Amino acid sequence: MRKLFPVCLPILLVCLATTVPAQSNKAQGGGSFMVQCPTSTVWHPGSSVLGYDPTQQEGSYTGPKTVTETVNGVSLPYTLNGGAIKCQEISGGDGFMTEADGNQTFMFSFGPLSGMDAIKHGQPGTQFASVFNNHYNSPTLPSSPNSRNPTYDPSRPVSLNGAVADPAAIMTIGVLNGNLPMPLAAFDEDDEFFLTLSNVGMIMRPDLFEQHTVHFHGYPNASSFYDGVPDATWAINIGGSATYYYMAPDAGTYFYHCHITPPEHLQMGMVGQLYVRPRQNRVPVGTSLYSSLELQQTDLRTACNTGLAGQTAKDILCSTPLPGVNNGAIQQVDPFAGVDPRIPAGTPYKYAYNDGDASTRYDIDVPIQIHGFDPNFHFVGMTFNPEGFADMKDKYFLLNGRSYPDTVGVPGYAGGPSAGSSNPDSASRAIGTEDSDGLTRYSQPLPSLITLIQGERALLRLSDLDVTEYQTLASLGIPMQLVGFQAKLLRDQAGNNLPIVTNSVTLGGGESLDVILDSTGVAPGTYFLYTPNLDHLSNDAENFGGLMTEVQVCASASACTF
Amino acid sequence: MTYWNAKKRHDVTRLTAAAIAVAALLLPALSYAATPGITGTIFNLVASPIYITQPDGAMIYSWGYGCATGFTPSYLPPQFASVGFCRAGQVPGPTLIVTEGQTVTVNLTNNLPAPVGNTSIVFQGFQVTTGGGTPGLITSEAAHGGSVSYTFVATTPGTHAYYSGTKPDLQIEMGLYGAVVVKPNTVPAGCSAIGSDTQLLGHPDYRLAASAYDHPATCYDREYLFQFMELDPRIHKQAEQQVQAIASCVPTAGGLPCPTTLEVKTEPYHPSYYLINGRSMPDDMDADYAPNYPNQPYNGNPHMHPGDLVLVRTIGQGRWEHPFHEHGNHVRILARDGNLILSQTDSAKLGGRMEFTTDTYPGQSYDGIFYWSGKGLGWDIYGHTPANAGNPPCVPDSNGYYTAASGAPLSAPNYYEWCADHNHPLEANPVGHVGGGGPATLFDPLIAANGLWYNGTPYLGPDAVNRSRGPTPLPPVKSTMNPLEESGIAFMWHSHNEREITTNDVFPGGMLMMMLVDPPVFFIDETL
Repeated sequence: MRKLFPVCLPILLVCLATTVPAQSNKAQGGGSFMVQCPTSTVWHPGSSVLGYDPTQQEGSYTGPKTVTETVNGVSLPYTLNGGAIKCQEISGGDGFMTEADGNQTFMFSFGPLSGMDAIKHGQPGTQFASVFNNHYNSPTLPSSPNSRNPTYDPSRPVSLNGAVADPAAIMTIGVLNGNLPMPLAAFDEDDEFFLTLSNVGMIMRPDLFEQHTVHFHGYPNASSFYDGVPDATWAINIGGSATYYYMAPDAGTYFYHCHITPPEHLQMGMVGQLYVRPRQNRVPVGTSLYSSLELQQTDLRTACNTGLAGQTAKDILCSTPLPGVNNGAIQQVDPFAGVDPRIPAGTPYKYAYNDGDASTRYDIDVPIQIHGFDPNFHFVGMTFNPEGFADMKDKYFLLNGRSYPDTVGVPGYAGGPSAGSSNPDSASRAIGTEDSDGLTRYSQPLPSLITLIQGERALLRLSDLDVTEYQTLASLGIPMQLVGFQAKLLRDQAGNNLPIVTNSVTLGGGESLDVILDSTGVAPGTYFLYTPNLDHLSNDAENFGGLMTEVQVCASASACTF
Repeated sequence: MTYWNAKKRHDVTRLTAAAIAVAALLLPALSYAATPGITGTIFNLVASPIYITQPDGAMIYSWGYGCATGFTPSYLPPQFASVGFCRAGQVPGPTLIVTEGQTVTVNLTNNLPAPVGNTSIVFQGFQVTTGGGTPGLITSEAAHGGSVSYTFVATTPGTHAYYSGTKPDLQIEMGLYGAVVVKPNTVPAGCSAIGSDTQLLGHPDYRLAASAYDHPATCYDREYLFQFMELDPRIHKQAEQQVQAIASCVPTAGGLPCPTTLEVKTEPYHPSYYLINGRSMPDDMDADYAPNYPNQPYNGNPHMHPGDLVLVRTIGQGRWEHPFHEHGNHVRILARDGNLILSQTDSAKLGGRMEFTTDTYPGQSYDGIFYWSGKGLGWDIYGHTPANAGNPPCVPDSNGYYTAASGAPLSAPNYYEWCADHNHPLEANPVGHVGGGGPATLFDPLIAANGLWYNGTPYLGPDAVNRSRGPTPLPPVKSTMNPLEESGIAFMWHSHNEREITTNDVFPGGMLMMMLVDPPVFFIDETL
């Protein structure tokens, strides 16, 4: 039964895809690829109401503002808190990656179809609407610099971070472009996020007519419709697109993954990272953080109100309790802004949560996802054989889709590939794998080398999507400050911070937490993050691989390899 | 069955068995749960050999605690009095529901086959005195055919594990485990006594108590108990075969004597069934005390209305940890092993974490509160549109919800709606009688597959579903799992060690359930 139409299906797909024109922002009949990213919504009506253009920038957070929007001729009140319209497009399909021992591994995976240049450089692929809607146009294919892009339009300017919206281009670029992890997504509280999933099919498994979905794991008060559980909602078929829509939830470290046959699709690689930055980042410089958090208490959505008489527990999940004391913290420019080349001059401090006391302040975002691959399962999955679940045994242990030493496989970094290396690509640091069609695609864009100028604080946004067992990550030398747990600030209802200082954290599948590594007073040198699950310090048969990466602390910017 | 039948991963025999099992067992469509159990101060229990069933058709030899002959227990919640049963053995064992401060006596008789040897019970978190029995390493035991009694004061409210204290690596694996639920002996200020909870909208009250602990922050409206256990069928098969072999063994003249005790290997451990309350999905979605599971009376099938505070009682009974992911919202952890977690500086405030994936550790219990209200979605979950005449009002109470506190009748179809999003459209274009003007353009329903629990729309409630169906409504809204009159929205609750949502290598199965958020107009009968 499983080998029906092994040849016809991909041809059929291409036909389907190419005969129906796609337009952005508009519905179309018949079904097919459709990419959407509106330039104006009721929540983000435009600069005349908001005071800034929500398609290309964020505004300052100065408290909730009630406006009246007209919808279908009727006036409705809206409470606006700023934010922007942001969009992202991903392909759902398959691809290949390379393990640290050289083993080429087949994946079911999501790949980037927008923000592609940012993704390749290890940045979030989420874009403002104005960037997203300037559709992708490049003379070469995104991951193959020496290849010709047949969908290139020389009459239009080159655009590397726009969305791929044309159906033919979606197939040309999307097939086999799966990444591990799937494209990084990051946006701000109060943003509207439109995530378009285009199912390009799995060309290595033409017998499968799999749908894919996106589950936004951990979203508070999620909608079932956009939850991505195929039993509870819809799942998009091959050759079609669907757009997930959410108002950004409370700030925190979430992640996302496919929810079709999870033991299979997660093991096969359909996992990725997603985080939401807090409003507190948008507080104007010089403003009290505590006062800004008090402003949030004036909006019922984010208020930790005491509830009605007899209903004291109704806000039992309140996410932004005020700190017990006002410590006087004010928003200020990060002293490393302009010093660290990764932090543009004038950038204010960043925070993991709306803490009101700067206790989650950091300088550098380090999203790290823990995963595990069972090579037998992947081989069986590529070779049309029935897969077993109870026997699943991971033998590659991955940080951001790479095992040590590839986690620090940064060209020019000590012990790593040479500065002129093409794989990993010297400019982007992405690792490429030659696929079955002879093209090399950069499917592993994220090294996990953590580089800190002494005094900088790194926020490790750790998540785990291993499907078989718990994994522990330990820090040798630099203490870990656990400040957030599963997308919530560690703070009790009375406002006491409950951070945990530790040297290891343990995560099960489907869990995340936030750890700050503070390099203040840490002597320059190399430090290690590694797993004390000692059998996970391996790449199949190789010793000293697996779940390990390095922290590079430098005395100054000039001493660092960024 | 939209995508299950699309999977062609497994050999035909297994797939067919699974499909038949799924088809047959999903038919009793509406079934709910609560925290059913037996109550009293004296429990006469017995440990017996039994068989449990799994959705792949397997009958698995097990040992379970049950009610002794002649012992007629009282059932709680009282709505279960007519359907409840307590046979000689079940997995998990009977949930013992007692009240804080009571002195509880459990008399255990060992009716396990003689080669099994002794058995016992340990009660986690209590000071137990024993009577009778024979000395064991960690508690007194009942020899084959003999009895032992355990007495303890139910000092602390909450959820506690009980399980065998004899050869636990084998006996717990075989099914000798259960739960003790201790009800607080007070109704904390602000909590609603049984039968007077407005949030239940006039429907029957299935709670065991007004609160989980003697604390006003632990009020709840609905409750469920989930016991997690993994199962290695090879261990059970060994035990079954050895018991049978010993029973039928005839010593040969001058030869080897018959063995008299079991020699079951419990390592290497290789489970392939992952159970919640002794059942694998989809069996856990059938009713409590469903007659087709005579030895697995408890289910795992949570339902709620928007705004309900749902008390989730969880025990890790096996030897593995299971990260249990509650889709839909976070869970506020109230307590671990019956110990309420409060702020160190203000004992009126909770100190437990909020988690979207709650870990069950071996032998450990936790109580947590889950709720879902749709707050902050940015669009009206009931699909109200500004132009639609006849919309119910949404008057915010001081929390922003439409409740009795702001004048909502208990019959309001949008009781507990988040009013800030009232009338706010989701869809950019009108579909059915739901107006456009919202931010999102929905896909053509013809290019998507639909789930068994999908009501066909983004919205909650039969009114919204009817109004928002376009010219080609898909699915036909005849899903047995979420029919039109229910029109709930479903969130999967499951182990995120994803291989554990399988049953003996078949997906779906194992530790998986669906939390249905039902519209206020839909009566949730937990006994069905």
